[in-house]
Amino acid sequence: MSEARSTKPGAARQATLYRALDGAGAGDGVRTVEELRAAALAAYEHLDLPSWRRSGFWTTSLRDLDVESLQPHHVEADGQVPAVVAEALKGDEPAGLLVQRDATVVHVWLDPELAERGVVLCSLEDAVRDHPELVAEYFMRRLTYDRHKLEAAAGAFWTGGAFLYVPPGLVVERPFQLAYVIDEPGTAQYAHTLAIGGESSDFRLREYDLAGGFEGPALHAGGFELYLEANARCRLAHFQDWGGEGQEVHDVSTHVVRVARDGHCQWIPIHLGGRLTRQHLELSTAEPGADMRHRGIYFTEAEEHLDLFTVDLHEVGPTTGDTVWKGAATGHSRASYEGLIKIRAGAQESHTYLQTHSMMLSPRAKVDAIPSLIVETDSVSASHGGTVGEVDETQVFYMRSRGLSRQDAVRVIVEGYFEPIVVQLGDERLEGLVRERIAAKLARADEDIEAYAAAR
Amino acid sequence: MADLEIRNLHVRTEDREILRGVDLAVNKGEIHALMGPNGSGKSTLANTILGHPAYEITEGEILFRGQPLTEADPEDRAQAGLFLAFQYPAAIPGVSVANFLRMAMNTKREEPIGVKEFGAKLRHATDLLHVDREFTSRHLNDGFSGGEKKRCEILQMAMLEPEVAVLDETDSGLDIDALRTVAEGVNKLHDETGMGALVITHYQRILHYVTPDFVHVMLDGRIVREGGPELVEQLERQGYDWLREELEVLTGAPEEDDV
Repeated sequence: MSEARSTKPGAARQATLYRALDGAGAGDGVRTVEELRAAALAAYEHLDLPSWRRSGFWTTSLRDLDVESLQPHHVEADGQVPAVVAEALKGDEPAGLLVQRDATVVHVWLDPELAERGVVLCSLEDAVRDHPELVAEYFMRRLTYDRHKLEAAAGAFWTGGAFLYVPPGLVVERPFQLAYVIDEPGTAQYAHTLAIGGESSDFRLREYDLAGGFEGPALHAGGFELYLEANARCRLAHFQDWGGEGQEVHDVSTHVVRVARDGHCQWIPIHLGGRLTRQHLELSTAEPGADMRHRGIYFTEAEEHLDLFTVDLHEVGPTTGDTVWKGAATGHSRASYEGLIKIRAGAQESHTYLQTHSMMLSPRAKVDAIPSLIVETDSVSASHGGTVGEVDETQVFYMRSRGLSRQDAVRVIVEGYFEPIVVQLGDERLEGLVRERIAAKLARADEDIEAYAAAR
Repeated sequence: MADLEIRNLHVRTEDREILRGVDLAVNKGEIHALMGPNGSGKSTLANTILGHPAYEITEGEILFRGQPLTEADPEDRAQAGLFLAFQYPAAIPGVSVANFLRMAMNTKREEPIGVKEFGAKLRHATDLLHVDREFTSRHLNDGFSGGEKKRCEILQMAMLEPEVAVLDETDSGLDIDALRTVAEGVNKLHDETGMGALVITHYQRILHYVTPDFVHVMLDGRIVREGGPELVEQLERQGYDWLREELEVLTGAPEEDDV
């Protein structure tokens, strides 16, 4: 029962530097949204652009980003769903849809029946005005604004934003969909999503990060916070694809989910592209009986740089968790996944497991996968494991001997590798979208993969 | 000209020469047995016929219906009508047996196979191999027992209907029921489609159920003896040692003289 295997993270690891996101203080009702904005602005003035250095070969740096040249672009709130969103959501029948284009929320739709039953879906700006008591209770309860300049910028300059409230006891089958779209170069999109699941509510939430048809640099910096109250259940997915020729989106975000007593969250982030992504994803089982399932996918290509730091935080016991991440990299891309299990003092009877797998598909790609464990109590079980691999040539030959081309064989292997996570999305359209994008990435990497096989 | 013809085949891996001049001809409709002790080069021959990249052909050639295959990609050999039932089939997580079969069958066709035709063929094949339909929705060889893997190989063979199939130690590790099922499958395909087969075995057991027209014995990378089914019985009684001794008597002395 007390098989705590604590690993000592190296000095350069993010785990060592980790401090809990216990908040900027709004959630306790002390500071207002405007006071927080002002505090973030003050922090922005003196903070530097961030860089995360882990080892000799791994640094994620935004020091060279010309942040002053990237500005929020306000567009006309014309009610239109941008083409890139319509294409991704084609055929879906959501419970609600909110779209932010650049700095402006351009489209909000909520099933009127759900609105009648107390669901709120609106821009965060509107929520501050129309639902001040809810916002005051939750806003930035688990997000900080002063760890680095871009976080402070998001805290100070956020516009639009998304707010979802699902009242206690309500069960909604169809997903709520949020989309952040960047479609102009030079855009700084400071995003903020606040979602709340009332006691015993049960719902699905999707956030899509999409870029459409532009050339040049852009920034998406922001926060996502989801609070699940007692016995609430949520199936959450993030679909990030900022990719595309010439679209240089830098994404520096923090996403936090807090699960209260007996609540449950299944969280599946899908990372399929972006010039540079640095995300901190934290899932906290904060009260007894809370349970989480964290599944993630990343697939980088070309010159992309991805740096993910996830935290499976157990604040009290008994709580349970299970984390599985799978990644792949082609081209010159670099992908780093660091997953921390943190079990706080007092969180006895916590049980959790973390595994991370990654697949190299190019001789020039770099993949780094680091699981770590910080346990500050006894009577827990926590362990982790990880693999870094390549395409197995035995499998390739097996399939070729049945008539499949090398490319098709590799596609089958890589798709099969991701498939156990993809099916857990439990949503045909979204699953199809993920498979489609994975297949397209593989097609673009054909030559690379073949050269890699030949060189081995 | 035979359908599958192997001429003076020399094959090496990184560290050593394994096949040292193999000649073999297999026609459609014929069943050949290739026997030999462990390490004699049987599996190397099987993998080389399908173009495994780890084996380098240093001399000789492989022809299929008169066309040279020596340089061909494995997928081209498969599409031409060759098949290998693997001794140790690879597991492919994430793709079902049925989906994989559809993909493989479509590589030989202009138009993708229709749902109805595929379903009918699959039913026929699953009946033949005594597996239920649920078997084909499992991920290919993933978590399969040894017997299930071998059945799955023969199931794929039944679906792909090769001209000539190479069965690499398909009998090893099978219990008698599974062995009988697998053998029945081979016989049925041979009868129904006129498939030719090269049955590679170490134990002879499968040859009680699949009767070969021709038997070849391999030792140290060469085929050293050829005959009919009676050769199987002789090997069963006497093992391989007598052959080796006989061979040393024949070849040992002259080779030394040549030096």
